Amino acid sequence: MKKLFFVFSGLLLLSACTVNKPLYTWADYEKASYMYLKNADEKATQELIENYQEVIEKQKGTRGVVPPGIYADYGFVLLQADRDDEGKQMLQKEIALYPESEVFITRILKMIEQ
Amino acid sequence: MKRYLIILVIASLVFAGCSVTEPVAKSNAYKGMYDEEPLTVLLMPPINRSTNVEAKEYFHSSLSVPIANSGYYVIPPFLSMEILKRESAYDSELFLNSSLKKFGEVFGADVALFTIINKWDKSAIASQVDIEVEYVLKSVESNEVLYTRKGAITYDTSVSTGGSGAIGLLADLAASAINTAATKYVDVARSCNTYTFSDLPAGKYHEKHNIDREEPAGEKEFKVNLN
Repeated sequence: MKKLFFVFSGLLLLSACTVNKPLYTWADYEKASYMYLKNADEKATQELIENYQEVIEKQKGTRGVVPPGIYADYGFVLLQADRDDEGKQMLQKEIALYPESEVFITRILKMIEQ
Repeated sequence: MKRYLIILVIASLVFAGCSVTEPVAKSNAYKGMYDEEPLTVLLMPPINRSTNVEAKEYFHSSLSVPIANSGYYVIPPFLSMEILKRESAYDSELFLNSSLKKFGEVFGADVALFTIINKWDKSAIASQVDIEVEYVLKSVESNEVLYTRKGAITYDTSVSTGGSGAIGLLADLAASAINTAATKYVDVARSCNTYTFSDLPAGKYHEKHNIDREEPAGEKEFKVNLN
């Protein structure tokens, strides 16, 4: 009986304070981007790239699409690593998924061509 | 009968724990957000008025997640930061009270998010971080402040090593000091942002967009302990 009571009050707690499932999942994005900013070395870059890949390939958010900015920033990191073709492809994907990014991303693509 | 009473008490306790005092509807508190319906958000480089030189970077990398998860398009933070640096617009303080139209043209931004870190004090002995941050979301077009909150946040960084007595206490102190110094700051920043933006009106990519008008807004200035 006591057990039941605990289960019940636990449920009550959960129902009153639950957080809805997020629109997007980000893996360990904040930490990876922080380490990238702080250390700016190969290891941090590699970890950030892996984090982007995880966010893209294993997206579990309710929208079921890649979050804003991920394709574009992934492209930016690839460009920094001289992987130009892949980088540009990622920038194009950002525009395709989020048309509102076109103004800015097109500007970046033009800068690369120069 | 007694059982029902207990349940009732627990239920009311739970509700008391989650409620906000003197609730104001979001549509009232953040009217401009509903009028202008911004979609794209430009994260301005944080303004650091604290004595912690690294607070700026710690903070920036944790801003996009809560805003995007609220249904907005966040302009890619690394790319935009790079361009802001190149265009010598890295000091956001210069733009806090001036026209933002240029940011609309270059970035396609509807709103710019300014964050002002007034305080970021870490105390290893008390194993806590005292932070004071101001968040200001300004319309690029009308230059109006659409959303603003200011928080005094105390973040507890302590970790218990499970030891007892004097030795345990010493071990706890050492563990907390390391913890405070390390990347725990990512957690601190994330907590502050997530807590503050929990009442941000839902953006266009969120299923609650425009139907959360009657939900309560949080307090404009708040004090909170997080961990």
